[in-house]
Amino acid sequence: MTDNNGKVRRLLTAVLLTVPILLLMRMMITQGQPLPKDALHRIPPIVAYVVTVSFFFLIVYTGRTHRYRSILFVTYAVCFVIVFIPNLLETQGSMAITQAEMAQGHTPFCHMVIPMVIIPAALSRTIIFPGSMLEGFAPIATMLVLWLGVSITIGRGWCSWGCFYGGFDEGFSKIGRKPIIRNISRKWAYLPFAVLLAIVLTSAASLTPTYCGWLCPFKTVTEYAAITSTTTLIQAVIFVSLFTALVVVLPILTKRRTQCGLFCPMGAFQSFTNKLNIFDIRIDQDKCVQCGRCENTCPTFSIDRETIRKGRTRMTCTKCGRCVEECPRHAVSYHIKGTPVGVRPQVARMMFVYPAFLLLGTIGGSMISGATYRILLLIRTGSLLG
Amino acid sequence: MMFMKGFLLGIASGGVCLAYCAPVLVPYLLGEGKTIRGNVASISTFLGGRLAGYLLFAVLAWATHFAVVKHLPYQRTVGGSVTIGLALLLIVYGFAGSGQRCNAIPATAGVPCLPPRGRAWLPRACAGVSMAPGAAMLGFLTGVNVCPPFLLAFSDAAQFPRLGQSLLFFTAFFLGTSAYLAPLPLVGMVGRRESIRTIGRLAAGIVGLFCLYSGIVDVAAGMR
Repeated sequence: MTDNNGKVRRLLTAVLLTVPILLLMRMMITQGQPLPKDALHRIPPIVAYVVTVSFFFLIVYTGRTHRYRSILFVTYAVCFVIVFIPNLLETQGSMAITQAEMAQGHTPFCHMVIPMVIIPAALSRTIIFPGSMLEGFAPIATMLVLWLGVSITIGRGWCSWGCFYGGFDEGFSKIGRKPIIRNISRKWAYLPFAVLLAIVLTSAASLTPTYCGWLCPFKTVTEYAAITSTTTLIQAVIFVSLFTALVVVLPILTKRRTQCGLFCPMGAFQSFTNKLNIFDIRIDQDKCVQCGRCENTCPTFSIDRETIRKGRTRMTCTKCGRCVEECPRHAVSYHIKGTPVGVRPQVARMMFVYPAFLLLGTIGGSMISGATYRILLLIRTGSLLG
Repeated sequence: MMFMKGFLLGIASGGVCLAYCAPVLVPYLLGEGKTIRGNVASISTFLGGRLAGYLLFAVLAWATHFAVVKHLPYQRTVGGSVTIGLALLLIVYGFAGSGQRCNAIPATAGVPCLPPRGRAWLPRACAGVSMAPGAAMLGFLTGVNVCPPFLLAFSDAAQFPRLGQSLLFFTAFFLGTSAYLAPLPLVGMVGRRESIRTIGRLAAGIVGLFCLYSGIVDVAAGMR
């Protein structure tokens, strides 16, 4: 009887806590507009709404932040590709962008570019990216404002709740039961900061976004410079190789997010924003038995013996919630800076999950909606292109 | 008048020089993990090497009346070769577990970098030699790299009939451009932790890879 009462109470609490997201997601997905009349345009937002709200409810009801975030995050990444590539094909006819198209400034701006544009923008008042400031798909100003807001609110939580690339290596890291490569030198956890330093300096020197030109592995699933010369061919070989190694093979072998944890300069840059926002992950020293499970499972190499001893994570933590779920003693928890560690951790978790999920639900929801539309289009017309 | 002309040219184009030198110098300074005072010493040595490179070109400018860099293929081959040398130094420094310091010879003395296996072949007296490329050597290699401001200076210096004038012009140009490197010792403010040094060394290796590619492209273009 007491058990049943507890379950009902838990269910009611979860439903009540889901109500704000229920309302907010409706506004975010429909953008305040009434649903279209035809089925092709009506079904996708409904699907996105149901999926996102259901996942939020599951996060609240089960208390498993990482598990349901992860499923939605990977789904979002897959949907991103289903939406983005047909969109490119419709507007440009190809994933390859020619020099002429770049000169017209129609390249969608991506958050990866942000660290590279800062110094040249300060010195020459020029954004060194061939995109539009306010118009088109993913304009520069919109992306910068979105990134700034997210950085202040959840810091590097961006990488596990907002980045449309993170879901790729997270997805591949789920393949296989056990890691084949276990011991990775801690030295490599500093590589993203080194890549960041190198690309910031070389971008300032060459006034071109060198990471986009040379290193970004995600050009494999988005747009890339048309292969018209030996240089562009070498660039293509590099980004496809990096994608294969860092996003597909190494995540499978290590069961970690190797692109995010060992290479991504944007992630390194985003780590500094962890210092600005109020949320972090803390380890209760009284409960911790030093089993090392959090260290061995952290997807971005943000926990080691030293940080466990200090009761916190490294500044690279993406607040994905994996360590919170894995800890057998419930010693790891979301935490609001300035409050005692381990006291009412569920309140801190919910305080974090609301803004974080709003980000994931809004962007992910729009991608799920867009992908559903493309799939319905495929079923109806035999083509993903409208 | 000639001195002022060289100095003003250096001041006017020094920002570009900083953009070319910073990707090499900043990771190096971080990788060495010295204090601000230590960085001042490193940069002074770097500038010494750079001055030596400039003066070498001053002599060449005077002797050849611009012939050395007049022909683009030749210029690209030389420049590319120098860039490859610089790249190799940075790559070994960045990725070969470098940074061990020598008790006898300071790292700023221009000691060539050697991989761990190579170090084992050294005579016992040199076994502790730093694997860090010397700041002087880095300065020299960036100094003889043919960047746009340097070409401007070179074409001006080639007009002078006397060697002294050419040397004076390049020295003035060097002083003008060096003003932009003055803030770089402040890199020491970020701290001397091992993590910062690791990041600096790895970044030097990555910049080395960029340099290697551009050097190979230049050499290939020059030989075509």
